[in-house]
This record gives sequence, C-alpha cells and structure tokens, in this order.
Amino acid sequence: MTHTEHPFVEHVEVLSNVRVASGVGLLSLTAPRCAATIRPGQFVHLRIGTQTSNLLRRPFSVHRAYGQTIEILYQVLGAGTLQLAEKEPGDTSMDLVGPLGTGWRVPQNTSHALLVAGGLGAAPLGMLAEQLAEAGIATVVAQGAPTAERLVARVLFDRVARRTEVATDDGSAGERGFVTAVTARLLAAEKFDVVYTCGPEVMERAVIAQCQERGVACQVSLERLMACGIGACLSCVVTTKSGLKRACVDGPVFDAEEVLFDATEIPPKH
Amino acid sequence: MTVDLTVNLGSLPLKNPVMTASGTFASGREFSDFVDLTRLGAIVTKGVSMTPWPGNASPRIAETASGMLNSIGLQNPGVEAFIEGDLAWLSTNASSTPVIVNVSGHSAADYARVIERLETQDSVAAYELNISCPNVDTGGMAFGTSSTAAAEVVRECRSATNRPLIIKLSPNVTDIVEIARTVEAEGADAVSLINTLLGMAIDANTRRPMLSRVVGGLSGPAIKPVALRMVWQVACALDIPIIGMGGIMTAEDAIEFLIAGATCVAVGTGNFIDPTTTMKVIDGIDEWCRSHGVEQVTDLVGSLEVSW
Ligand SMILES: Cc1cc2nc3c(=O)[nH]c(=O)nc-3n(C[C@H](O)[C@H](O)[C@H](O)COP(=O)(O)OP(=O)(O)OC[C@H]3O[C@@H](n4cnc5c(N)ncnc54)[C@H](O)[C@@H]3O)c2cc1C
Ligand SMILES: Cc1cc2nc3c(=O)[nH]c(=O)nc-3n(C[C@H](O)[C@H](O)[C@H](O)COP(=O)(O)O)c2cc1C
Ligand code: FES
Repeated sequence: MTHTEHPFVEHVEVLSNVRVASGVGLLSLTAPRCAATIRPGQFVHLRIGTQTSNLLRRPFSVHRAYGQTIEILYQVLGAGTLQLAEKEPGDTSMDLVGPLGTGWRVPQNTSHALLVAGGLGAAPLGMLAEQLAEAGIATVVAQGAPTAERLVARVLFDRVARRTEVATDDGSAGERGFVTAVTARLLAAEKFDVVYTCGPEVMERAVIAQCQERGVACQVSLERLMACGIGACLSCVVTTKSGLKRACVDGPVFDAEEVLFDATEIPPKH
Repeated sequence: MTVDLTVNLGSLPLKNPVMTASGTFASGREFSDFVDLTRLGAIVTKGVSMTPWPGNASPRIAETASGMLNSIGLQNPGVEAFIEGDLAWLSTNASSTPVIVNVSGHSAADYARVIERLETQDSVAAYELNISCPNVDTGGMAFGTSSTAAAEVVRECRSATNRPLIIKLSPNVTDIVEIARTVEAEGADAVSLINTLLGMAIDANTRRPMLSRVVGGLSGPAIKPVALRMVWQVACALDIPIIGMGGIMTAEDAIEFLIAGATCVAVGTGNFIDPTTTMKVIDGIDEWCRSHGVEQVTDLVGSLEVSW
C-alpha cells in the first residue's frame, strides 16, 4: 500500500450536476485538496445526506481531477444516488473522506495498455486513460454498455486513447453483445503489457480469465459494500491468495491473480 | 470556567468519558489520520480471540433506517498477531491512552485464555468481555443471554486477572437488569451496554436477505432509545459504573447517556459516518458543560430528573 497523501475529511461544493445518460449523472465538485492528491483508481467516501435516515457514506471513484475540481460519474440506483441526482450547483452540504484505497499501478516499461470498462466501470478508468496518454503509453479501450447512450466517458476515451472499441447489448453502437468478445479479439491480435478492468464482476472475471490464458498482467477494481471506507469495520473483505483483504485500503484495485473469487460480490440490483 | 472531564471507571482513571466502541475503530491506527488518539478517554479494541477467526461470508453489512446491520462475525487475527501488531503499535503511538482489549471466545475457558495471554502485556489497561455478539454460532451472545452462562464466563476471567473487568451486555434479553446483577455479583468492575440488537433486512424484489448470514446486529441512531432505556434501568440497579453506547453521533447524545446513569460513553457506528466523531463529542461535552454551568462531568452521571 503506497499512500502519497493521508486521507482527510473535505467539505465539497457542487459545481455542476448533469445527466449524461438515462440514470447516469456527472457531478463536478470543488474539492481542492482532494483534486490535488487523488490518483487514478482511488475513491472518495461521500456523505450525501446530513439526516440519519440514510446513514452511511457512499463510495465513488474519482473519474477525473483537474485544478480544484473532481468529477464523479454515478449511476442512480437507490436512496443515496437518488439524493445525489437532486443536488444543485452551489450545494455545500456534502463532505468526502478521501483519497482512499490503492490506485491503478503502471508497471515499469509499460508501452501498451488495454482498458476494459463495463457500464459504470468506466468511471475509475477515466483518470487512468488520461495519465497513460500523458505518459505516452499506447492505450486501447474496450468498452461495453447496454446501449450507445450508456457508453459513458466515451468522449474522453476517444480523445485520449489510441483506439476505442465498443460493444452494446442492443447493437446501437459497435458490435452487438458483450465487451468480452471485443477483448478476446484484441488480446489475440495485439500484445499488451497490462490490462486494467472495472465493471460488473462477471465481466471482470471473464476478462481476467482471458488475460490469464495469455499470460498478460491484469489489474481489477472490485466493488464491495463499505461502511467505514478506511479499513476499520471489515465489511468490505476480498478473499485473496494471501488471506482476507479489505477492498477499501488494500484495494479496490487488486492484481487479478491475487483474487480468489467466491460468493462475495455485491448481488446485482434487480 | 474550566470543566473537569475526568472520570473513574472503577479503579481506572480516564481523562474524559469518551471511548470507542469495539469493532468500529479497529485498534485506532486506521483512525490516526483523523483523530488525535491521545485525546480519547480510552481505546477499546476490536474483538480478540485466542486463535484467528475468519468472520462471516459477505455481504456483511446492510444500511437500514437510521442505522445499519452487521454480521462481520468477529474476524480477527488472534491474540498473538494482535500483540505483535495493533498492541505494539498502540504502545508506541498512543501510550498515554488506556487500551481496553475486547475479548471473545467460544467457551468460558477460551475467554480466560486470551486474558492469561495478555496479562504479561503492560500496555493493556482493562478487558471488556464480549458476551453479546449476535454474529457467531457458538459463544458470543449465548453467554450474554443466560445468567448462568454469563456468570461462568465472568468467574473464569475474574480468576485470571486483577485488571478491571468490563462485561459487555446484550440487549437481546428479556431482563437486562438480571444479567447485569449477575455479572456484578461475580466481580465485574463495570458493564458496557448495549451491543447490537438482533435484526434482519430483506430485499423484497429478490426475496433474499440483505446479509449472507440472514440476521445481524443493528446499530446506529435507530437503537439509541433502547440503549438509553437499558442504561437507565441498569444504573438504577447496580453500583458499578456503566459504559453507555448505542447510536451516539453527537455530544448531546453522549450527555443523554451520562444523565441516564452512564459514567463513560462509547462511539461506534458514528465513527463510520464521520471519522472525527469522537473528537467532536469530547469538545462538545466540554462546551455543553461550560454553557450549562457544570463544573465536573461526573455531576451529570445519573442526574435524570424523573419527577414532572
Ligand atoms: C470503491 C468503489 C467505487 C465506486 N465507484 C462508483 C462510481 O464511480 N460510480 C457509481 O455510480 N458507483 C460507484 N460505486 C458503487 C456505489 O457506491 C453504489 O452504487 C452506491 O453506493 C449506491 O448507493 P444508493 O444509496 O444509491 O443505493 P442503495 O442500494 O440504496 O444503497 C444501500 C447501501 O448499499 C451500498 N451499495 C449499493 N450498491 C452498491 C455497489 N454497487 N457497490 C458498493 N456499495 C453499494 C450503498 O453504499 C449503501 O450503503 C463504487 C463502489 C465502490 C465500492
Ligand atoms: C461493524 C461493527 C462491528 C462490531 N464489532 C464488535 C466487536 O468486535 N465486539 C463488540 O463487543 N462489539 C462490537 N460491535 C458493537 C459495538 O461495539 C456497539 O456496541 C454497537 O454497535 C452499538 O453502538 P453504536 O450504535 O454506536 O454503533 C460492533 C458493531 C459494528 C457496527
Ligand atoms: S469499509 Fe470498513 S474496512 Fe473497508
């Protein structure tokens, strides 16, 4: 675990909050300290409401950070994200705990990287794509979503990646079907030094299996239910080859070969 | 006006009445970026057992109205790893704050063995016996819901140590006063209450429980009225001091527990919502006392006015 900065509590102000697809919003927050210290793949634990009714904070990856601003790409799922969708510019009621967790790691001598995003899994890959482009690393993005509209962050990926290939469930963009068909093709045709993946756990597992077959290093960002977000409550455990690890401090990014997938994934929303 | 915040938990003097609730603060290290650990009245560690316990399957938590359910299941690396890891860290980094080790076991002898192992450790100030965890199959709450079983655990542990022995009581009983009296008679120096209330949550759409263990322990503001009632009932019946907890988020919550009869208070779930809660509670108690002309925080203890 390498922390460049210790986590802190920071009050945030909503700069903008816009709908980018059905059920998906992009929230820009003024959070100077966090913006200056967050690394790709890390997350913040956001206190959305000040009432006790929905008590717990909600974890969100930081999609992008620049100047004094951080961006969060969120899917509206339940009480917390419904409240989040209502936030107006100028709102100062929220605070975050962050930066939290390990980020994506770029192995030495990486020249080719593949990013595999499923649905909102695109969120933690945004900053990474920018960072890789800046470092001159040839980056290919494989992105999957239910529909073309839900290919969130596609504009960013198109801008910074060398190539973007997409798949949608309904065929409204790219090829019809799962992104894992795209990745199977890409992994067979090109040589990547590292694969970064985030998305539904079934997708992540399929991508990891493809990487293992070809001996390509793979990093995966895992979602777990989190109460504290700072390593104290043990609600977010991930089974690994070296025992139980906490997704909030030992992850959320793990080396794929370390993870022993079991029944601990968050049950998909009805 | 300066307020005297010091309290005595039996023979253990504390600089203020605010402690951490076991299992919500790890052993403090994880909070050291947010909290000055040396300002805490005491640190209560997560549950420590003789051998490593793996805990329960996930999902282990669920948010519920004004609270949360957990079924962590006392995951911990065992007493040896605790001594080398967290305890060693605490004695270098927060040596001025008393460390109270929360002890778990599957049998009365199990609890006593953990204590025997810790007796040689100078940095341990007291023990808190968790006889009230709803999340393990053998032991845990089974000891805290039967007077005979509770008595047996306290007796075994009492003969293993002269250090202050605190018994953590379960609210999942018909009569908490009866259990409290029993542990007092067996030589407990203090009681802490309440542990979590057994509860469950269901996702109607999937017809599945929200926790893989189906049931779990409810904590947070939702349980505060139950906790206050139990602290008050036990305070009326016992002579030994009480550590009150259950849903404390603010200084005012803490003061209510003191008024109900608790000598100390512990912050649990509140640490997850705001990692600096303990500091805010300490500062807030001080301010409250100042603005209400209370010179000693102990003057508040059991000061409930029941006449109308
Ligand atoms: C490290 C990490 C990064 C994440 N990054 C993003 C992101 O960038 N964008 C995004 O849209 N979502 C992200 N999530 C998922 C997001 O935290 C949940 O979708 C959100 O908490 C749901 O809250 P809710 O109140 O709307 O849903 P509810 O279902 O009402 O929430 C109830 C409880 O379950 C938890 N919960 C529900 N679904 C999830 C889930 N999938 N993962 C974790 N906890 C969940 C909530 O935090 C809350 O405690 C991330 C999760 C983790 C662990
Ligand atoms: C995640 C979690 C883990 C807990 N672990 C323990 C434990 O190991 N030992 C124990 O005695 N109590 C444990 N408890 C109970 C708390 O110490 C406390 O008694 C209870 O949560 C009520 O206080 P609260 O409402 O402030 O959280 C745990 C509670 C939570 C929420
Ligand atoms: S969320 Fe508490 S330990 Fe990870």
